[in-house]
Amino acid sequence: MSMSPILLIGISMVTTGLVLGVIFSLVAAGVTIVYGSIWLPNAANGQFFLTAALICWSFTTWFGLPTWAAALLTLAVSLPISYFLEATLIRRFYDVPDRNIAYFVVTLGVTQILSGIFSVTYGRWSDQFNLPSVISGVTFIGPFPMTNDRIFVLIVATVLLTLLFAMLRFHPYGRGLRAVFQNREAAALRGVNVRAIYRFSFALGMLSIFSGGILYGLAYSFDLTVAWTMAVTAFAIMIVGGPGSVVGAVVIGMVFGFTQAGVSIFASPTVATFSYLAAMLFILLIKPSGLFAR
Amino acid sequence: MRSGSRNVTVAHALAATCAMLAASYAVPAKAQSGEPINIGFISELSGAYSFFGTACKQGLEFAEKKIASEGGVLNRPLKFIMMDDQTNPAQAVAAARSLDVQQKVVALTGPTSSDIALAVYGYAEQNKVPFVVPVAAFAQLTKPGTKYTFRVEPDAVGWGYAAVKFMAARKPGAKIALMYNDIALARAIMAGIKYQAAKDKLTIVADVLFPQGSNDATVQAAQVVAAKPDFVYLSTVGAFDITTTNQLLDLGIKPEQIIHNVGQTTTLLSYGKRSVGSIYGTFFDANLENVTAEGHTFIDDFTKQIGRLPSYTENYCYNTAYIIKAAIAKAGTADREKFRAAMSSLDMVEPTSGVPITFDKNGARKEYMYYMQLTGVQPKSYTAKKLFYTEWAPETLPVYDLVK
Repeated sequence: MSMSPILLIGISMVTTGLVLGVIFSLVAAGVTIVYGSIWLPNAANGQFFLTAALICWSFTTWFGLPTWAAALLTLAVSLPISYFLEATLIRRFYDVPDRNIAYFVVTLGVTQILSGIFSVTYGRWSDQFNLPSVISGVTFIGPFPMTNDRIFVLIVATVLLTLLFAMLRFHPYGRGLRAVFQNREAAALRGVNVRAIYRFSFALGMLSIFSGGILYGLAYSFDLTVAWTMAVTAFAIMIVGGPGSVVGAVVIGMVFGFTQAGVSIFASPTVATFSYLAAMLFILLIKPSGLFAR
Repeated sequence: MRSGSRNVTVAHALAATCAMLAASYAVPAKAQSGEPINIGFISELSGAYSFFGTACKQGLEFAEKKIASEGGVLNRPLKFIMMDDQTNPAQAVAAARSLDVQQKVVALTGPTSSDIALAVYGYAEQNKVPFVVPVAAFAQLTKPGTKYTFRVEPDAVGWGYAAVKFMAARKPGAKIALMYNDIALARAIMAGIKYQAAKDKLTIVADVLFPQGSNDATVQAAQVVAAKPDFVYLSTVGAFDITTTNQLLDLGIKPEQIIHNVGQTTTLLSYGKRSVGSIYGTFFDANLENVTAEGHTFIDDFTKQIGRLPSYTENYCYNTAYIIKAAIAKAGTADREKFRAAMSSLDMVEPTSGVPITFDKNGARKEYMYYMQLTGVQPKSYTAKKLFYTEWAPETLPVYDLVK
């Protein structure tokens, strides 16, 4: 192999940072949208992320669907799941004072339940899962061969993030959501149906987390432990970016992706995993409300 | 007279044949005649290791049924009382206590995780309950002074020793790269590799440790490629193992250069066709030539019922039931101390493969390892051929100095 090692390692770092960054951003955006509107710190985000990957895997493995069809079906499935959870669980706490604590405990419970269900179902089936390729093969970026699936993940995630921003900016529901982010009482006085926005934001957040889970499953093999890793990462991104800030989630998500890829070269993969958590603590010391806090 | 004698002999033979036939049908009923001999089976039926615990249980249940059909042991049924440790050491110790005090089991078995096995080890040694560990490779389970614990699977340091022996045989003076997760098993394997590589003059050109929960190895794969190794030895776990393998292949490492620490069926299937040619270590494989008739029956029945080929995990748990049966038969009683003594002097072969089973004074097994090359992957099956086999005595390596 006659490629420059430095160039090879450098491009691998950039592509890895981008792929991880867009996935982190999608999931963290989903978490922060829900927190910003409902004040729901979704501790179960990692399990929902895993749920999406597992549902998509089930559609491809047990029903033989192509991955793109399985992915679309999985996203469709996220909507009834979201509305069911909102109607049975989330809605009950809308008027509870300090409900973020209650929500945190409730979603921790959901985490335990889902984790238990997965361990005695999928966990007994295998210790790792793969989604079939959407576009097989590799494309060379200079000397670096990048799989077409990862390029696909990068493009789709970027499109989804762009759509998310466009929706928040231009769609009436998006504008309502931003109004609730800023001041729910004032939004209500201006005629925004705050409860409808709550429902919408929960579904939108879940859709974003589900998208991240599916794209992760396409870019990487996954197992049941990924839920815990992602839960911690998404929370860290939300806190550093500023709870409720979608821009913060996306920017910090990308930063975390590149940090993980970069530090693993210059230090080690072990240092990389806690480097961004250390960065989180450092940033919070300087700006406790988060970098992009409202 | 001679003719009459011959007639008598024929009559005796016919009678004996009829009696044997009758007996063969009557055996299961006879096995149920005595009180069951209870063995405690504690394994990871839920939690992070549920795949391995469930696989072990499946293998053991095949043996349990077969032993019952063979008449049990000492004319009594051999019964395994199953308990889920939830991949939680504290839960495993609680289960061990319950099986010891309430069920009064003769012995404990079951864990597939070294962490869980170490927790039960402490209980077993302290309370003098024989403990047969089917699938956990951490060397400390048979550290000097161990009396009641017997480890069926070769220790992880030895896996590293075997890997070096294989690579040195395949290419003397080879340059090797190591990629592994930060778990006890992998650290022990790497200790064995580093110890033996120095002796066998292999050069380690890359040494990459990943924390648990890692998800991407692209950058490290590029670093490994840049180091131009002859072999890349992987001891990464779960999904990350598949990710790492694919990322190495993406970057141009050939399958023949990749050596996986072990090969489980589900993992080998997940590697897929692009990994054909890659190499894996194992202790049992359906493709081995030395699989016995009983081994083939086990493989066929298991595949029919479970839908995939059994791996070494299921095989060890199947054989563990027979090891326990043999020790009870040798002891002639279901007494714990006599069972322990019988285990210490056991000399048998694995029913499925004919590989010898003996334990040293600390309960460590005479060790061995195969290296197989993947030759084909189908949706639910795979083919492989044996490239290498080695065996060694536990004292060959300073295992307990290398892994504290």
